[in-house]
Amino acid sequence: MKKTILALSVALAGSAVTSTAMAQDDAPIDGNLRIVIGSTSTGGDTYQNSEIVAQELSDKLDMNVKVDAVGATEAFKTLERNDDGNTMMIFHDMSYLGHLYGVRGYDNVFEEFNVGPSIAINPGNAYLVPKDSPYDSFDDIKEAVADGERVRVSIQPGGVSEIGFSAMKNAIRIEHPGAEENLVAVNSGSQSDKNQQMFDGLADVINGSVQSNEQFTRLEEDDQKAMKFIWLTAREDTIKQTLEEGMGETTREELLEYTEPNVTVTQDGEKNFTFDKEFFFIYNKDMDQEIVDYMDEALADIYDEGEIQETQKQSFFIPNFKPSDESREDLKQKMNEYKEIIESIDS
Amino acid sequence: MEFLSALSPLFFLLIAFGVLVGIIFGSIPGMTATMAVAVCLPLTYALDLTNGLALLLGLYVGGITGGMVPAILLKIPGTPSSITTTFDGYPMAKNGEGERALKIGIVASLFGGVFSAILLFLFAPVLSDFAIKFSYVEKFLIIFLALTVIASLSGNMLMGIFSGILGVWLSLIGTYDISDGGNGEIRLMFDFMEPYLESGFSLLPVLIGLFGLGTVLIEAEKGVKKEISSQSLKMSGQAQFSMSVFKGKLTNLIRSSSIGTFVGMLPGVGGSAASVLAYTQEKNFSRDSSQMGKGAPQGIVASESSNNGLTGGALIPLLSLGIPGDSTTAILIGAFTLQGIQVGPLFIGDNLDTWYTMVFALLVANFVMFAIMFFAIKHIAKVVAVPKYILYPIIIMMCVVGAYAINYGIMFDVWTLFMFGIFGYVAHKVGIEIPPLIIGFILGGSAEIYFVKSLESYGDFMIFFTKSPIAMFLWGLIFMSIAFSIYLHIKGRRQQSSEAET
Amino acid sequence: MSMFEITIPFDQSHLFFPRIITWLLGGLFVLVLMKYARPIMSKYRSGGMTELLDLEEFHKFKFFGTIVLVALYFIMMDVVGSWFPNMGFGFLFVSMPFIFLMGMMYVHEITKATVTKIVIVSLVSPLLAWFVLARLFDITLP
Repeated sequence: MKKTILALSVALAGSAVTSTAMAQDDAPIDGNLRIVIGSTSTGGDTYQNSEIVAQELSDKLDMNVKVDAVGATEAFKTLERNDDGNTMMIFHDMSYLGHLYGVRGYDNVFEEFNVGPSIAINPGNAYLVPKDSPYDSFDDIKEAVADGERVRVSIQPGGVSEIGFSAMKNAIRIEHPGAEENLVAVNSGSQSDKNQQMFDGLADVINGSVQSNEQFTRLEEDDQKAMKFIWLTAREDTIKQTLEEGMGETTREELLEYTEPNVTVTQDGEKNFTFDKEFFFIYNKDMDQEIVDYMDEALADIYDEGEIQETQKQSFFIPNFKPSDESREDLKQKMNEYKEIIESIDS
Repeated sequence: MEFLSALSPLFFLLIAFGVLVGIIFGSIPGMTATMAVAVCLPLTYALDLTNGLALLLGLYVGGITGGMVPAILLKIPGTPSSITTTFDGYPMAKNGEGERALKIGIVASLFGGVFSAILLFLFAPVLSDFAIKFSYVEKFLIIFLALTVIASLSGNMLMGIFSGILGVWLSLIGTYDISDGGNGEIRLMFDFMEPYLESGFSLLPVLIGLFGLGTVLIEAEKGVKKEISSQSLKMSGQAQFSMSVFKGKLTNLIRSSSIGTFVGMLPGVGGSAASVLAYTQEKNFSRDSSQMGKGAPQGIVASESSNNGLTGGALIPLLSLGIPGDSTTAILIGAFTLQGIQVGPLFIGDNLDTWYTMVFALLVANFVMFAIMFFAIKHIAKVVAVPKYILYPIIIMMCVVGAYAINYGIMFDVWTLFMFGIFGYVAHKVGIEIPPLIIGFILGGSAEIYFVKSLESYGDFMIFFTKSPIAMFLWGLIFMSIAFSIYLHIKGRRQQSSEAET
Repeated sequence: MSMFEITIPFDQSHLFFPRIITWLLGGLFVLVLMKYARPIMSKYRSGGMTELLDLEEFHKFKFFGTIVLVALYFIMMDVVGSWFPNMGFGFLFVSMPFIFLMGMMYVHEITKATVTKIVIVSLVSPLLAWFVLARLFDITLP
């Protein structure tokens, strides 16, 4: 019965296998590949990134590759159920930060799943203040809180948006012990909520991104919507890889003014804290090693061809391919560093 | 008008194709405008920005409009924002006036769409500056105002309010989502439910469960009678559509379209609130609203002009703040970014040509929608003539597709559909009213966020009254809405008792 | 200072609104009971459940048949779908018998014409839906 159905289905699907680079008969996966992502938005960076990779993979592997924005909880659940290699996940640092911050539904991704290759960085994570704010830089904020002023930072708790806040808090703890209490988080949700909190005067600093807030920084100061950047969390090297035009009217050079070493948020008194929002694959723990290798190989080929980099840079992403082993180690280390920061401000 | 020279025949073809596909998606219970835009987004990779937008805007307009078709003909809202269309549309269809109801809906949609496109074009920056005056407090009051409609929509006031609150309660089950600003903890469930209910019940499966499967079950209990479907066909002898039906409805049209545009403009309030608000405002302010809910054209006019008013409205914050006004425009952001165009407060000034093209595409899409629908309606309306033993299995199949696909492939959503189908049947039997329940369910989530966030931010209950003149004005509307529904119920009771005496 | 002031601790904020609503719902439920308990009881006494829930013409077969069939449909769709990951075949192959069986259950006269109609519809409509949605638009189906 199953065989008949299969035969029928092959006929129906009309999936005539054309021969390209990788689609051999011994390919460890066939059928359709479904990539679930940790975000429910099809307008966000995770979706875009995954879509870029999915298109390339689709050509390379000669399969249908479909990105489904099911959200983190559902994505992890789906992934857990499917070890056949036809379902994979793409997500970013939230996948372990959620665990560090103790968000429900986030287990240790390195233990419960198999972390795969990295594909890109979104360099845009930023902190902003109103244009007419008394604070011009993170140094001003440090001084203000050291003087006992309360500074409210609007973030979405439990992830990428909070890690920069934790880092600022940690830096203040190191330089002005005790004053970190004066830097408080205002918990909010989407970017529009965070912006709105600034407009309403409920937050002094907001988390945002180069992509969605750059235009606000170009408004006149008397516009109540006007903002300015004070910090981009990405590494200097990361921003250096963006296109020279930068984003909108803000050139790469101008963006570099807001990264370390021009803005210093210390991690331990010596090293500067940085945070690159990385996107990577996550696999089911029991997925065949053969498929892991197959994917590494396919992605390595794609990045060697060099077209994907162009597409990524056009969309303000930094190409960042690392095969599974390397990617896993790097991310583990990243997690351990951030773990220390979060623990030190908690105590 | 320089931008016009850049347009090719392909531009118009894509709009038409978009509208058509949108209408089809919107007409299928469970498929939405958002879904149509999402699945067609990859098609735009190969197009340039102008043509890509033409396609997506066509889908958007078509999808929103298409929702009225099953709402009127089958009493299943094709998209959440067409829920109020069922109130008067379905009774009309049952009287054999399905075609007329659809035509009224289309004209109203066209008006709402064009109205909002014009507002978008003329006032986008001004309006978006006004929209950011709405903080958590004012947004909560808008939701609260929309919730007060529960009282006037219900057949029995006590049961109606009970049903509405039950809807709110059901919507709170699950996680207090961090992406909305919550703390990510779950509530209102036992431990064993956690693996399934973590994300709560999604709106669309609930909606099509209650209206789609629920209705099928009610019919099944009665043995799926044969004759009902054919009765809707006898169109002769019934009132024919003519434009005169819009006589005296200009206020309604303008009010409803404005409400649609305005609510669409407020990020986070949600499009479904627009038609609910417009419907009740019509009920409260029109000279004679006694027939509303029993097949009054004015109800369709209010509902449809406001939900098409949404289209232009939701584009306002997108194009002048970079913030989407609803879930569909959220996907449009993706289309812009993929083309390397940034949306934000400077978008319009930086991209004048694109801006003109978009408004133009939106206008064209509305007229194309009108043309396609107006001539297709005769055939679409025949759906009711399909025998039920064919129609019902197909409805269920499409409901499954919609439920499964709405969150991109989650099996629990299909089970939600099942549970709420049975719940819909039980509710029908014990007198729980579905329209208030679903309105409570739609608005419950945002009511919570804005209520709790208001108190978190200001730490004082009085803030709801003292925040701003806008808040005071909204309170005025809320009191009027409540007073009016009490008045209606007293009047209704008097009529009943006087009828009983005679 | 006023009596209206309030602080909501963030880690408890998920319970604040649900509590209000639960109380409100409970209160309304009591009101509903008070108002309707008596008429309901008297109706029940006079005519039992049938009268109370308006079940005079309860078609057991069609009603429970529908529920069972729909439940089976959903279960089997998932099962068959997992044999062919992410192809949408679970939907395709299970919808066909479902539409056929449900059609046969609902149809009033089983004649050659009606059965032919049902068979055609049950073959064509899932195929069409699957082809357009899963193949053309790449929508994930079970």
